[in-house]
Amino acid sequence: MSLAERLLIGRLRDRDPSAFEEIVRRYGDKVFNLVYRMLGNRHEAEDITQEVFITVFKTVETFRGEAKFSTWLLRIAANQSKNRIKYLSRRPTDGGEVDEAVPAPAGTPGPIAHAQIAGPDTLLEAAELESLMQEAIASLDEEHRLLVILRDVEELSYQEIGEITGLPEGTIKSRLHRARMEIKEVLDRHTK
Amino acid sequence: MDHKQAQDDFSDYVDGTLAESARAELDQHLAVCIQCRTELAKFRQTLGSLGRLKQHAPPTLLTDVKQQIYRRSRGRFFAPRWKLFGRIPFEWISLATIIAMLVYYLAMIHGSPTGVRPAP
Repeated sequence: MSLAERLLIGRLRDRDPSAFEEIVRRYGDKVFNLVYRMLGNRHEAEDITQEVFITVFKTVETFRGEAKFSTWLLRIAANQSKNRIKYLSRRPTDGGEVDEAVPAPAGTPGPIAHAQIAGPDTLLEAAELESLMQEAIASLDEEHRLLVILRDVEELSYQEIGEITGLPEGTIKSRLHRARMEIKEVLDRHTK
Repeated sequence: MDHKQAQDDFSDYVDGTLAESARAELDQHLAVCIQCRTELAKFRQTLGSLGRLKQHAPPTLLTDVKQQIYRRSRGRFFAPRWKLFGRIPFEWISLATIIAMLVYYLAMIHGSPTGVRPAP
């Protein structure tokens, strides 16, 4: 953990409102992206993201600094997402609720940001691809889904993924490969 | 090397974590197998699409979290705390007590018996 990060955590422990704002600004997108990809539902993702930050501020005293702060934060996000998935699966009316093409609210950068500077066709294709990718991710079980999101969406290292999931590197690699191949097969079926 | 063996190595190949010998073997296979080359291209495309999945948090996130914390803690969470009494330093109190007891004990043992008169 860097010195700047230590100082920031110290200020957070002292309940400095500016440290709190810095944490939300710095990690808000990362946490939201992880939670949204896990749940596939924007409303649920907004709710869980808020809960993640509230948990972080309530429990920052227990953070021992053995891992990076971002890793600890994402572990909380992953656990809360998995808990929500379990909770929703017990409620059949809400369990299968997944956003369609994920319209981003006004003022927020869109789904596949790169496509937004292009024409409407490209934008439509990007929205369709995003929807298809989300569908493919949702077809995985939650453990495989988490690994794909951490590695291929959030672009974390295997060490960081190990710290978040508690899995050894070999297990991560084999499960990740299986998950990637499953996603590829879903995409293959749709593009045939 | 058959197609399945080749495709089992795709993740390590793309991540750059495949051993040198296995990499060379896969390269040889790819050079002659159009099916695996096509599958590898699709595999890379899948990973590329995953990497572009970025969703931004709602702009109201900070305000929403703040409101939740204020509401749940009834405004106490960010209320100014008097640092001296913010937390009772039990470890320092214990240490000071032990030192004081030790000093008292040593004083009792080695101290001069002034003011003590022998009994008649």
